[in-house]
Amino acid sequence: MPLFPFPSRVRDMGSREIFILRCAPFGHEGRQVFDRRLIQNFDWLLLILLLLLAAISVANLYSAIYPTKAFGGQAIFYRQIYWFILGFSVFLLVTTFNYKSLERLARPVWLISVALLVAVLILGKWTAGSRRWLSLGLITFQPSELAKISVILLLAKMLSERDHVAEYTLRELVKPILIILIPTALILKEPDLGTALLLVFVSGSMMLFARINWKIYLGIGITAIGCVPLLWLGLKDYQRERILTFLNPDRDPLGAGYHIKQSKIAIGSGQLWGKGYLEGTQTKLNFLPEQHTDFAFSVFAEEWGFVGSIVLLALYFILILWGLDIARNSKDKFGTMVAVGIVCIMLWQVVINLGMVMGLLPVVGIPLLLFSYGGSSLISTMAMLGLLMNISMRRFMFQEGSGLGQ
Amino acid sequence: MKVWDKGWVRFRIHVVSALFAVGMAVMLFRAFQLMVIEGGRLGAMAREDYTGRVKLPPMRGAIYDRNGRELALSVQVWSIYAHPDKISDRKQAAKKLASIINEKPAEIMTILDPKTKFAWIRRRVPSSVAEAVRSAGIEGVVVVPEPGRYYPAKELAAHVIGFVGRENQPLEGIEKRYDEMLRGDQGTLLQIRDAHSRTISVLGPDRLEQGTHDVVLTIDNDLQYKAHQALKEAVTKRNAAGGHCIVANPDTGEILAMAVMPEFNPNSFDAYSSEARRNRAVTDSFEPGSVFKAFLLAAALEEGAVSPETAFDCENGSYSIGGSTIRDVHKHGILTAAEVVAKSSNIGAIKMGMRLGYEKLARYLKRFGFGRKTSSDFLGEREGFIRDPSRAKLIDQATVFFGQGITVTSLQLAMAFSALANGGKLMKPIIVKKILNEHGETIKENHPSVVRRVITSRTSDLVTMILEGVVSKEGTAPLAAIEGYRVAGKTGTAQKVDPLTKRYSDRKFVAVFGGYIITEKARLVVVVVIDEPRGVSYGGVVAGPVFREVGRWSANNLGMDPTPAAPEAAKDIPSAKEEAVDPKRALVLEVADEIRSGTVPDFTGLSMREALKTAYSLGLKTVLKGSGFAAAQEPEPGTDLRDAEVVTLTFNPPLEAVVNRSAVKR
Repeated sequence: MPLFPFPSRVRDMGSREIFILRCAPFGHEGRQVFDRRLIQNFDWLLLILLLLLAAISVANLYSAIYPTKAFGGQAIFYRQIYWFILGFSVFLLVTTFNYKSLERLARPVWLISVALLVAVLILGKWTAGSRRWLSLGLITFQPSELAKISVILLLAKMLSERDHVAEYTLRELVKPILIILIPTALILKEPDLGTALLLVFVSGSMMLFARINWKIYLGIGITAIGCVPLLWLGLKDYQRERILTFLNPDRDPLGAGYHIKQSKIAIGSGQLWGKGYLEGTQTKLNFLPEQHTDFAFSVFAEEWGFVGSIVLLALYFILILWGLDIARNSKDKFGTMVAVGIVCIMLWQVVINLGMVMGLLPVVGIPLLLFSYGGSSLISTMAMLGLLMNISMRRFMFQEGSGLGQ
Repeated sequence: MKVWDKGWVRFRIHVVSALFAVGMAVMLFRAFQLMVIEGGRLGAMAREDYTGRVKLPPMRGAIYDRNGRELALSVQVWSIYAHPDKISDRKQAAKKLASIINEKPAEIMTILDPKTKFAWIRRRVPSSVAEAVRSAGIEGVVVVPEPGRYYPAKELAAHVIGFVGRENQPLEGIEKRYDEMLRGDQGTLLQIRDAHSRTISVLGPDRLEQGTHDVVLTIDNDLQYKAHQALKEAVTKRNAAGGHCIVANPDTGEILAMAVMPEFNPNSFDAYSSEARRNRAVTDSFEPGSVFKAFLLAAALEEGAVSPETAFDCENGSYSIGGSTIRDVHKHGILTAAEVVAKSSNIGAIKMGMRLGYEKLARYLKRFGFGRKTSSDFLGEREGFIRDPSRAKLIDQATVFFGQGITVTSLQLAMAFSALANGGKLMKPIIVKKILNEHGETIKENHPSVVRRVITSRTSDLVTMILEGVVSKEGTAPLAAIEGYRVAGKTGTAQKVDPLTKRYSDRKFVAVFGGYIITEKARLVVVVVIDEPRGVSYGGVVAGPVFREVGRWSANNLGMDPTPAAPEAAKDIPSAKEEAVDPKRALVLEVADEIRSGTVPDFTGLSMREALKTAYSLGLKTVLKGSGFAAAQEPEPGTDLRDAEVVTLTFNPPLEAVVNRSAVKR
């Protein structure tokens, strides 16, 4: 009795699906066994890490909005709590179905997300000089968040479907490159440099799991570097300004360099032990802009010091390593690749954001995972973590299932 | 069913884990670098950012009278402003504010224009109002402390002290002249501020030494009060355009009182015209009239041109000179030099002046201090005008002999009379007695300084004796006589030039009385000028009583021993009749003793002025401490007046505040 039937596919030689015989996320898993095993395999560590980070994030947000409490800052705090509650619902919802079903949905989801990225360029709300937000009646959201997930899913599907050991040919690479570049180009057009770069980094990291000749990697790398001047020309003035400022922070200390200088001052002044919760001066006195969104870490570092930062970084690192462990233990290649993709997103978000607030990278506007204020990014993060949990919960099923079956 | 090469993937995952670990390590190292290695430097930068060295709004030094009573002091007041754009419910806010500051809600609504980011609601409110606004907690409404200037004596000596503007900028008087001293160095205050430079909290002053100084004037608040009151009464009674009264110590040149009408209250200076705020005692020069005969006499006696007995034919009141006819008010025949002055005959003065010569007189007038500024401590002081001898026609010379065609200031008159009173020395007028530093130590003191000797003391004595005749029954100013004191003085009633016709007016006069009180030990000069009195205009009638009132009170208050009887010397004045002194009226102190029956009243709640008035009417001496309204007294109300010679009153300013600047220094 195959307890855990896989979707049966008929494939051609090029691993393209001809048709799918069946794909039942819920039906085939015997209800009683399903429940018990899923609970047995529930990934408590992942949940605990998530809750810990969420708790720290909420506490930190309270501190960040503290000086503006009288002027509606309170609302930001409560709104983020609602987002967390909603996020957890999404998280739980995503764990309920078998992630395998997403393999089938990967392509349509990717197409939809590309369509939405096109739509946002036409219908999107202009805010602060860019069109990132799409209004769908009651809710507004950023299609680029969906694009991140859809690219991971489609890449994971592609990479996992290729079961022969031979290296990718250049022709085979055209498709994944298009999968990456089309949404990237559209996001760049919004413009949202940060998310576009994140997408390239994440996809590039995932492609490490494809059997690709190192020469091709090198070639792509050189091409990418060659494109930098082109990219430079395509950048908006403020984006160039940020990069120039990054390269020489002192060129405009009160203008473009202000953010990063204030952020460094805030973080540095935390020193070893920090100034204490709600005691941060730079953040409390509004020296630091965007302190509840992209620069939330500065608030944390100022108040908790290097020691607190080690703890926070350790939590992120454990989360990432645990994510990789989930990838490693996934029962199938799709699960592995999805998990790897999610971990890559998490890692790059953390690295880019921290690098940004600590003055190692230009200011590109990437929120800190689970930490920065903002609904859209939080919901998509929770969905991704839910997916990770989904994969984790079902990690033993293959081995055990196959064992029983044989 | 081997779907994929697990081992290869695992290897890749390990590689990626290692790369990720490197990424996290880089972040950790960067955090270490920022927070531990550079933490100290960045922390210092943070402190530099949030601790502002904010300019301390200056707490100006105080201005005191000679007895240490505050004439000008710094207080903390509060101002209310709003960020109208941040107020969501403007109606409610306006209503709340209106009830606290006693204003129409509609008025406040217009101030709270939602398009503006900042608007003053009301400035300079007492802390009770500020506290009420603060505790009301109205959204977008802020209360800030501001340094304020308070003049507890209000109109008293206001023209001397001057005032500062809303931003404490010096505008007039001593406040302006000694601004550098009063203001001191701009202090700085360490404050915690936010990125918008709003003050979050105050750490304390950066520096304790602020370099502000207190200025002690020579003004005596009590004398000033008396001079002010008497002058005000006379100006009101005579419906005059204005007036000045100066009380000076002729031996030191110290100005003890300088009252000017019209008055103004420096606490609300902008409610008065600049006309009212001018210190007319120095900024306005006028033709002094017959008062000048005193100096003519002094010059002529000094030069030996005349003696007191020298006789002059006063032409029965009408005399032609230089094509004009000069008339005397009273017709006189032959008068001695002394009588010419005592009876103020213009014709006699012309003849005396002709004998002396205009050139010599002009030289003496300059030596008496006329025609140039007396001091640098008064802003806007006039020099006055003395016609140059080379350009003076006969009629010009003749008019100067009786005090027309020449202009002087009251201060110049006071100093010139001082020279007559003190034995012949022209003193430099002193208005600032001393300057104290923050610790109350005297860093500068103005000692009496003799500008020059003008006449010998013999001449001075002679002039004094003759001038004593002026207040005799025979003289022009019996109303200026003070019982029990020797009084020398001279009246003046000068015609003013009508600005429209450029000719002497028949109706506009300046009534002057200048003179001094002499006791064995002390002398006191009082100059009274009443500008454009209506009705009676004679100096003796209009200004004389003011002199008498102020002189008597001042001499009494200063403890000048009354001289029981007219001195022998006075009898020497030829033809000048002895004034019979009524012994009953002579001793003012005895009169005061009779009044002193009953009990000490309750002074608390009274203003300084009211308290002084009450005490004076009961013959009580007062010791005043502080300023504002009486809060405590010693002895208690109800004490028998006979047991209470002196009553000590402690006053508190109405604005509680930081009267003592030490509160800020702490």
